Amino acid sequence: MHQLEISDLITAVDPHTGRRLPVRRTEVIQQLRESGDERAARIVAGLAADQDGVLDPHAVDRLLISVHTELQRLSEELRIGERLVHVLGPLFTAIRAAARQTGAYRLVDVGCGLGYLVRWLAATDALGADVELVGVDLDATLVGEADRLARAEGLTCRFVHGNAFDLPEAATVYVSTGVLHHFRGSALADFFQAQAASPAHAFCHFDIAATPLAPLGAWIFHRARMRNPLGRHDGVVSARRAHSDETLLRAAAVPGIRALLYEPRGTANPFCTTLRPIIGVRPHLEAPLRRALGRDARHMVGPEHLVEAGR
Amino acid sequence: MTPAIPLVLLGLADAAFSGFRAYAGSDARIRKRRANARAALRGLAVGAVLLLAPMLTAALLLLTPRDQARTYSALTAGGLGYLFPLIVYASAVLLLLAAYFALPFRASTLAMVIGLGPLTLLRPLVIAAACLGAVLNGGGGAALLVGTIAGAAVLCVEPAVHRRWYHHGP
Repeated sequence: MHQLEISDLITAVDPHTGRRLPVRRTEVIQQLRESGDERAARIVAGLAADQDGVLDPHAVDRLLISVHTELQRLSEELRIGERLVHVLGPLFTAIRAAARQTGAYRLVDVGCGLGYLVRWLAATDALGADVELVGVDLDATLVGEADRLARAEGLTCRFVHGNAFDLPEAATVYVSTGVLHHFRGSALADFFQAQAASPAHAFCHFDIAATPLAPLGAWIFHRARMRNPLGRHDGVVSARRAHSDETLLRAAAVPGIRALLYEPRGTANPFCTTLRPIIGVRPHLEAPLRRALGRDARHMVGPEHLVEAGR
Repeated sequence: MTPAIPLVLLGLADAAFSGFRAYAGSDARIRKRRANARAALRGLAVGAVLLLAPMLTAALLLLTPRDQARTYSALTAGGLGYLFPLIVYASAVLLLLAAYFALPFRASTLAMVIGLGPLTLLRPLVIAAACLGAVLNGGGGAALLVGTIAGAAVLCVEPAVHRRWYHHGP
């Protein structure tokens, strides 16, 4: 049985209207029990519900904000912002060189949660003033909190509730952190297809590097740094669900996109690379991206790496 | 040489870090240096109060009418035995912290993943090792009692600070 993340199950929205749907606690518990995860079922059994057994949406929202806030601490301690800029900086350099576009470029963070990446980029101005920073999430509560936090610190960025691919303005680059493992089966390829079909120049999605040590590392780190049992549980499950290098490279190799994986297994110390990105660029951008990365370009491989690794 | 002063200093330093940990993960803002410093000071204050417990225990043991010189030398020997594992632990933490702040992000990730994260979890074991060190170094029951209370005090700082100032949950 594959493992499920509790946070994926305790909220539901209508995909067409974006309206919040009621979630029955017993149904979530049953799903978790069927997947063999008794501990997760016990965590959900402790969540507040009304007399009809529907999870209290306000309590769920408070819980998710609290868990995401703890999760941000991990991103801060692992310096995820710098890790992203290490790749996104050269990516925007390559796009600027190739596009010679007048006006702003737009970075869209898909499934931004509390918008840590977008707010950190805004606070540090790491990508330059010509990059507009937008965070998008299907969870209205998290987007609302991200917006509140950005305004509280006077940060120049914005957050939108909805589908990142339905925005009225085109993204230059789509990014995400810790989102890819939520897409299972054909949904992963569909996710990349949607970006290939958009006018975006590139995407760069960071997710947990799938190594045998990742679940153990996630357990230690979430145990040491997170208090909420839901956060601890989902952190370890995320590491178990992380997609392999091969899965990501195959799924991202869609028409019109050159799929590249940065720091795949075997080229980087797994203790130094907790998250690594799958990058997709329009084919003409690969050469300028490699130039902008300099010596680090040797850590970036395409689908041909799979053939070489398989020999 | 009395180990009391380095032990108190180590306890207070640990309390400041505990204050920081109690706050970390409860505030999603980006800029929070002042809040970090305030949390460390809160940890320091709570630690200073809680560390009075082992100090008072040691003082009471020394004030009992039995052989005070013998109790004093037992506590001194026990304190030195208690200090050794703590010095090793504190040195490792300081080295890793220096690496974390000084090195580029990949190396700092390494310092966090294999060092600072697991070392936080090991704190109760380090206290247990320190208590064992106190006994093995001739501290006897008196040093074990003071060491256990001191260990419990430093381990209580983080939950106490979190509960008092940073617990926003239901």
